[in-house]
Amino acid sequence: MKRIVTAFALCLAALCLSVAAMAQDEIRLGVLSDLTGPTGDVGVPYAEGIKDAAAYLNGQGGVAGKKIALVQVDYAYNAQQALSAYKKFIAQDKIVALLGWGTQDTEALTKFVGKDEIPTISASYSAHLTDPKSAPYNFFIAADYSTQMRAALKFFKDRWKEGRAPKVAFVYPDAPYGLAPIPAGKAYATELGYEVVGEENVGLKAMDATAELLRLQKLEPDYTWIGGTTQSTAVIMKDAQKLGMKTVFFTNIWGSDENLVKLAGNAAEGSYSLQAAVIYGQDVPGMKIIEKQTGGKPQMTHYIRGFASMLVMAEGIRKAAAAGEITGPAIKTALESLRDYDPMGLTPAISFFPDDHRPNMAVFLYKIEGGKLTPAGTETLERKAEWLGK
Amino acid sequence: MHGQCGLFFTSYAREAQIFQSRFQKTAMALFFAALVGVVPFLNTYHVSVLCLINIAVVGAVALNILTGRCGQISLGHGAFLGVGAYASAALTGMGLPFVLAMPAAGLVTACVGMIFGLPSLRLKGIYLAIATLAAQLILEYVFLHLDAVTGGSNGLSVDPPSIAGFAFDSDLKMFYLTLGVATLAVLGAANLMRTRPGRAFTAIRDHYLSAEIVGVNLFAWKLAAFGMSSFLAGVAGSLWAHYTMYITPEQFNIGLSVGYLAMIIIGGMGSVLGSVFGAVFLTLLPEAINFAAQHAGQTFAGVADYLLAMKAGVFGLVLVLFLIFEPEGLARRWRLIKAYWKLYPFAY
Repeated sequence: MKRIVTAFALCLAALCLSVAAMAQDEIRLGVLSDLTGPTGDVGVPYAEGIKDAAAYLNGQGGVAGKKIALVQVDYAYNAQQALSAYKKFIAQDKIVALLGWGTQDTEALTKFVGKDEIPTISASYSAHLTDPKSAPYNFFIAADYSTQMRAALKFFKDRWKEGRAPKVAFVYPDAPYGLAPIPAGKAYATELGYEVVGEENVGLKAMDATAELLRLQKLEPDYTWIGGTTQSTAVIMKDAQKLGMKTVFFTNIWGSDENLVKLAGNAAEGSYSLQAAVIYGQDVPGMKIIEKQTGGKPQMTHYIRGFASMLVMAEGIRKAAAAGEITGPAIKTALESLRDYDPMGLTPAISFFPDDHRPNMAVFLYKIEGGKLTPAGTETLERKAEWLGK
Repeated sequence: MHGQCGLFFTSYAREAQIFQSRFQKTAMALFFAALVGVVPFLNTYHVSVLCLINIAVVGAVALNILTGRCGQISLGHGAFLGVGAYASAALTGMGLPFVLAMPAAGLVTACVGMIFGLPSLRLKGIYLAIATLAAQLILEYVFLHLDAVTGGSNGLSVDPPSIAGFAFDSDLKMFYLTLGVATLAVLGAANLMRTRPGRAFTAIRDHYLSAEIVGVNLFAWKLAAFGMSSFLAGVAGSLWAHYTMYITPEQFNIGLSVGYLAMIIIGGMGSVLGSVFGAVFLTLLPEAINFAAQHAGQTFAGVADYLLAMKAGVFGLVLVLFLIFEPEGLARRWRLIKAYWKLYPFAY
């Protein structure tokens, strides 16, 4: 009996200590991740990037003299679990800002973060989240899906040599994430002088795309957009190779990464990947830190984007602290005052405005050559007001 | 002071009472008093989990009428919730007050449910499962492409419900609203089960041929089951829409349908009380795993990752274990516990 009492007392003491440790002066941030759900393959490296960036910042003495404490919850890409995780962040963990993940959680929480004044940096790059009128507390650090597609179209058009108009086709899943940039892309392609020849739907879980590609092959597109995930992109590229289709594929930010070559082999050769962050090992100032943090173990570009998201959030917190206090609204104002903030070269420079949350209009294009992502250039568009939120 | 030993009824009406003894009535009243009284002192996280439970209770009770009681399996339940959510959002968007929009959304869903319930006349078992799966896929497609009403891929922003100028804009207020609706749904369903429709549903489930011979119109009652179930599903969807304030097609996917089926299996097929248990259990399960992972992670680093990775596995495992060891669900376990304590300490 005595032993039980002792053990109980020890437990209590440990609990008190941990509570006391929590009460120390620190900045608490919520991290919503998908580690085990359908987007877990890219969700894990992204979350690792966030955590490593926080560890790096804490190693430097924290932000504004305070340590960053991350509270991570895996919501398995389920809106209901995202909601209760968020409520826990607010009620128990007392977070001041949130690092979110995909479309599912970001959109389900848009209204809540607005009401609770919790600035959110997520990895759902839907254009409609960049309009502060409907999503005042939402931010992200990559050009939105529509801007990415527009930038790629501009990039190819500027390098088009033949006399005729280039032909473009779109392949995308019939899902919210795939549909989002299509109207913008089609309109801009026509404006640039492309001939839009066709579009096909290939699902995210498709095992075969031969029927769709056979139809496209007859239309002979010079460029073909693939919206989807790495898995669906690999299916499309392999089937296109089988059919001997001659087109230049370009894929969105989630459709092509370091894993594509493993899945699609040489079928991915010559295709372009649109990204918002550099790839591992590229010569930018931040890479040394990342290499040190990861012990030289190569990471996916999603990791680097997670790392940069944390850096941008930290910059907002630092500016807010300099202006007075670290609160949700203060961080929001601070983020909106960022002008050409450079997250150590990991992404193009970032600016947010009170009436425009587009981080930038720049897209990194990588070409897959010899099984590797090779930098092919950066395309920067004009920040047109009429494109905001579309 | 002589208490009754056991329950002794002198009329059918007494036997059919929902709360048969004074003890049950007192216990129920105390439970509700505690629920209403304690919740204001909980933090918003706990209140929001309770809100989600209330919404899940409405949805699970709805599915249990159709699948548990009438024996018509539905894999389209998640999409029916979606119909209710979008209908309610659209109707309140047009200026209809929430008190009217919620039942109206239920009616819209009931109509949709009855349309997709038509094949149930000819199809049974696995075939009906496939037919309702088609409903799920078709409705998801409609959510995504009927841009004018649903906002398509951008989703739809919804305002918090307001009744006669009183806005339910906090978790606590939403809790009382969802609790009220859930109570009505549970009482309504319990009442349904003990009257003519409930008996007809049971007859159809247990042996459709005998049911028809004793005069149950199979087609009419099957459709009625689809209608009533979809009505409540629509109400649950409406609550969900106004609680989250943002709906997208992805929220109402096949996973949600399967989740609700799991709730009624774990809770107890055909039992109203079981639907409540199932909803509570499955809403709390991921929270409990997250809690365990977070606290285990503080003491043993690395354990958290494994626990999280097992989350989906735990869900499946729980389902299989229930099917093997407790096919009648938590409702039966509850009855056994009650019986044990009734006779305590002289169980014989």
